[in-house]
Amino acid sequence: MTSATQPIINKQSDSTALAFAVAYTIITFCIVAAYATGFLNGLLLGAGLGPTLESWQLKDYTELIAFVMIVILGSIVALMGGRTSVVMAVGTIGSFFALTLNQHPLIQYLTLAAVLFAIGLYGMVVSRNAVRVLMSIELMLNAVNINLVAFARYVDPIHIKGQIFAIFILTVAAAEAAVGLAIVLSIYRNTSTVDMERFNLLKW
Amino acid sequence: MEQYELLKGWAETNIESTMFYILAMMAIPFAYGVILDKAIIRSGFLLIGVFGSICGLFLLLQAQFLALAQLMIYAVGITLVIVIALMLTNPRMETIRQAEPASPNQLGAFMVAVGLFMTIYLSVRPETWNLSSENLDPANVELIGRALCTDYSLPFEFSSVLLLAALIGAVMLAKADKPRKKGEDDLEYSVVDGRPATGDRHAEHEPVGAKR
Repeated sequence: MTSATQPIINKQSDSTALAFAVAYTIITFCIVAAYATGFLNGLLLGAGLGPTLESWQLKDYTELIAFVMIVILGSIVALMGGRTSVVMAVGTIGSFFALTLNQHPLIQYLTLAAVLFAIGLYGMVVSRNAVRVLMSIELMLNAVNINLVAFARYVDPIHIKGQIFAIFILTVAAAEAAVGLAIVLSIYRNTSTVDMERFNLLKW
Repeated sequence: MEQYELLKGWAETNIESTMFYILAMMAIPFAYGVILDKAIIRSGFLLIGVFGSICGLFLLLQAQFLALAQLMIYAVGITLVIVIALMLTNPRMETIRQAEPASPNQLGAFMVAVGLFMTIYLSVRPETWNLSSENLDPANVELIGRALCTDYSLPFEFSSVLLLAALIGAVMLAKADKPRKKGEDDLEYSVVDGRPATGDRHAEHEPVGAKR
């Protein structure tokens, strides 16, 4: 049982990674604040980008510029050695703020659902443990549920059809979780691993 | 200080929006914890946090029935099943993962996720929704029950059949083979090639992964 008690988080080069992550957090906060106060918009117009924005029909979409700035900056910081998980979480929260401030509540909920769906997709592709893949799928199903319930609240409040469909999704998700975990268990019993890279049973 | 007062006044008038942002700030880091935490058993428990914040979002959207169903089915039921599955499969594999190089499709997955998010956002953002200005009936559980028993009764029955099939299938898949005792004579499997089996037959079936 010694391997279970080992520290599983890598401690080396921790401080520089954390410093990068903290710097990125501060810059993201500044970008979001600049967008929220209208300062970024004025800056872009002052830099002579006004006609360009208009010709690209981006004039009402200045939040997209803040989003792209945050994403590119986050990629650079992560490549330079910032701690990836912190950078990704901070970038997601910052861009979520920038994209949903001053929007209708329906769009806010749909954006949150899109964020959760994208996180679930990323986790499903990246993770190597089969159980974690199933967790990511549960995340994606929940994001869809948020969408449906938001539609039931803001688009169709008379016959709340979205909530009824969400109930069916809940049922299917429960069945999927049970069967999927049983399949993972049975594969584990036969191959004694749950690593996705080693599941090549169907390869010939 | 003036800014703070302004912010406080805004928060008091927009209590729904404030609660939405608080719950979103909870849900997104929990979701990242689920997919990125090195100790997988902890990410199994962080799943409760995601489902709990989504339950709060459902309450904000006035879907009381769905909020409680979410809490009972997801935050308790599915999380429990996942944690049990984590305990049955070996969670110490994650410590081995440290030495391995990162998954090669990480960058591609990141780009696909960002592209998907951008696509959804750009299609959602134009305000062409047929928004209804009416408020939701606070007693919408009755509406749901009525709809499930009239218009949607057939899908409702089918979902119960689906649950039964999934239950039986999961039990059949996860059922462990009965360990055979030595010398115990089985009825039809005990004779192999005309001579009785030794009873150690399961020792020949080495797990595939054990030879790697």
